[in-house]
Amino acid sequence: MVEQRTATDRVFDFLIYAFLALFALFCLFPFWIMIVSSLTDDLVLRQDGYLPWARKWSLEAFRWVISGNDMRTGYAVTIFVTVVGTICSLFVMSGLAYVMSLKRLKGRNKLAFYVFFTMVFVPGLIPWFITSRNLLHMHDNIWALILPMMVQPFWVFVLRNFFSSLPSELIESAYIDGASDSTILLRIVLPLSTPALATVGLFMAVAYWNDWFLGVMLLDFANFRPLSVIILKMVNNVQAIQAAMKQPGVSINLAGLPTLSIRMATAVITIGPIILAYPFVQRYFVRGLTLGSVKG
Amino acid sequence: MASPVQSLKSGSTSPSTYKKPKGLAAFWLYVKENWVLFALGAPALLLIFLFSYLPMFGTVIAFQDYSPRTMFLSPWVGFRNFRLLVESPLVMRLVVNTIGLNVMFIAFTTFFSVLIALLLNEVRKAYFKRLTQSIMFLPYFMGWTIVSMVLFGLVDYQVGTVNALLTKLGLERIIITDNAAAWPWILTLVRVWKGTGAGCIIYLAALTSIDPQLYEAAAIDGANRWQRMRYISLPAIVPVITLLILLEIGRIFFGDFGMIYALVGDKAQLFSTTDVIDTYLLRALRSNANYGFSAAIGLLQSVLGFICIFGSNWIVKKYSQARGENYQLF
Repeated sequence: MVEQRTATDRVFDFLIYAFLALFALFCLFPFWIMIVSSLTDDLVLRQDGYLPWARKWSLEAFRWVISGNDMRTGYAVTIFVTVVGTICSLFVMSGLAYVMSLKRLKGRNKLAFYVFFTMVFVPGLIPWFITSRNLLHMHDNIWALILPMMVQPFWVFVLRNFFSSLPSELIESAYIDGASDSTILLRIVLPLSTPALATVGLFMAVAYWNDWFLGVMLLDFANFRPLSVIILKMVNNVQAIQAAMKQPGVSINLAGLPTLSIRMATAVITIGPIILAYPFVQRYFVRGLTLGSVKG
Repeated sequence: MASPVQSLKSGSTSPSTYKKPKGLAAFWLYVKENWVLFALGAPALLLIFLFSYLPMFGTVIAFQDYSPRTMFLSPWVGFRNFRLLVESPLVMRLVVNTIGLNVMFIAFTTFFSVLIALLLNEVRKAYFKRLTQSIMFLPYFMGWTIVSMVLFGLVDYQVGTVNALLTKLGLERIIITDNAAAWPWILTLVRVWKGTGAGCIIYLAALTSIDPQLYEAAAIDGANRWQRMRYISLPAIVPVITLLILLEIGRIFFGDFGMIYALVGDKAQLFSTTDVIDTYLLRALRSNANYGFSAAIGLLQSVLGFICIFGSNWIVKKYSQARGENYQLF
C-alpha cells in the first residue's frame, strides 16, 4: 500500500506495537519466573524469594524430581491416560458422529437431541459422583481417569458437522457398491477428515493432560496419581503447613516439604511436552477455536 | 431414510401379504438391518448415558434423605432440603459469588480479547504478529494446577515474586494471599492472562472478513489509522461480540470452577468472595457433608443454568435471524 503516513499514524503505530509487546511480556512473565527459579539454587531462593533472575544456578531440583518415584509413575500415568484416552475418544466420538451425519438414518433429530440435551442440562456434581463411584464403581482404576471425559458432546457435533460437509456422493456410491458402514467410516470418512480429527484430538489431548478433577474425585487408595494431582497436592500441602505454622505452639517437620525450586521444576517438567509440541500444532488449535464457535 | 437395500427388499414382497411391523418389532428389525450403525454409535451413546443421564436421574436425591447404602432409593422427604436451602445464608453467597465472578470474567476477558484483536489487526509486520500471537496463546494450555503452583510463587507473603521485588526496592511487603477483597481481581487477572490469546482468535477471524475497500475508501477520505479502527473495524465485529457475550451469559451458573478450586483450594479465609456453587459442592463431597442438601443446591444450579442457556440461545437465534444470518451452532 502506498500511503502517506502522518505523524499521528506513526505515534498510533508505536503505541500499538508497544502495548502488544507489553501484553506478550505479561503473558510470558509467569513462565519466566517458573523456568528461572526451577534452575536456581534453593538456598538463594529461600533468601531472596522467586526473583526474575538467579544469583546462583543449579540443576539439583531437576535431578531430584527426575529421580523421584512418584513423579515417574505420575508421568507414566499421565502419558497413558493422554494417549489411550485421546485415541479411544476419537474413535468413539467419530463413530457416533458418523451415524449422526447419515441422512438415511431414522430419527437422527432425536439422536442429536439426546446428545445436545447433556450440554444444556448439566446434572449436579453430587449425583455424578455417586453414580460414577458407588453405582459404576469407577474409582481407583486407570479407566476412571479416561472414561468419564471420553465423549464430549461439543466435539461430537463438530465432527458431525465436518462429516456432513464431505461430498455425499462418495459415501453413497461406496454404500451402493456394498461397503459396510464400518468400512466407509474407516476407509473413506476418517482419511478425508484428518484436519478435523487432528484438531479435536489435540483439544482432547490437552484436556486429558491437564485434567485433575477425575484424579481428585475418583482416586483414593490407588498407588498412582497423574502429574496434575501430584502438583495440586504439593500446593495444598504447602498451604496447609503455612496455615498450621501461624497457630501458636505447633511444631512442624519441614523436612518433608518440597523445596521452592523443586516445586517449580515439577511444574516445568509437567508442561514440558506441551511447550515442545506447541509450535507444531498451534495452527490446529487456532482452527479448532474458530470452528467451534460462531462464524464471523 | 429408505436405503437402496431396504427399498429392494420391501419391493420384493408383494403388498398384499407384507405386514409392516410396528412398535418394538419394527425397531428390532431396523436394528437387525443396520447393526453396524448401532455398533458404531453405541459406545459413545452408552458413555453419555452412564455419565450424563444416570446422574440426571440421580438428582432425585435432592428430594431424599440420602444414605450411602440405599443411594438413589433413599426415603423421600419432599422439599425439606429446599426449605433448608432457602433458610441458609450460604446459598445467597454462593449465587452472588458465582454470578459476580462470572460477570467480571466475561467483562474483562471480552474487553481484552477485542482490544488485542483490534491491535493485532493493525500490525503489518508479519513476524511480530505471529510471535506475539503465539506467546499470548501459550497460557491457554497450562493446566490450572500448574497455574496454581506458579501463582503461589508470585503472590506468597514470604517468597512471592511481588514481595521479593518490593523488598529489593526497599519497600514494605504486602499481604495478598489472605486478602479476600483482592482475590476476585486476582482471579480475573489470571483469567485475562490465560484466555486473551485464545479469545482474540475469533475476533481476528471476523476482522479478516472485512472488505479492504472500506479501509481504502476511508483513507482517501482522510481518515487516520485510529479513526479507521474505531469506525470500521470495531463496528464490524460488534455482532460477534454481542453473540459471544450472550453465549457466555448462558453459562453464567457454571463457569470454569476448576480454576477457582485449583487456585483458591481450601483457604477458608477467602471463601467470602471466591466460594462459588461448584467449589462448595466439591468440598461438600470431600467432607461427606449432607448429600441431599448439597444435591438440592446442585439441582438449583442445573435448573437456573438450563433456563439461562435456553434463554440466551433463544435470544441469539432471534438476534441473528433479525440480521438475516444464522449463527446457531446446533
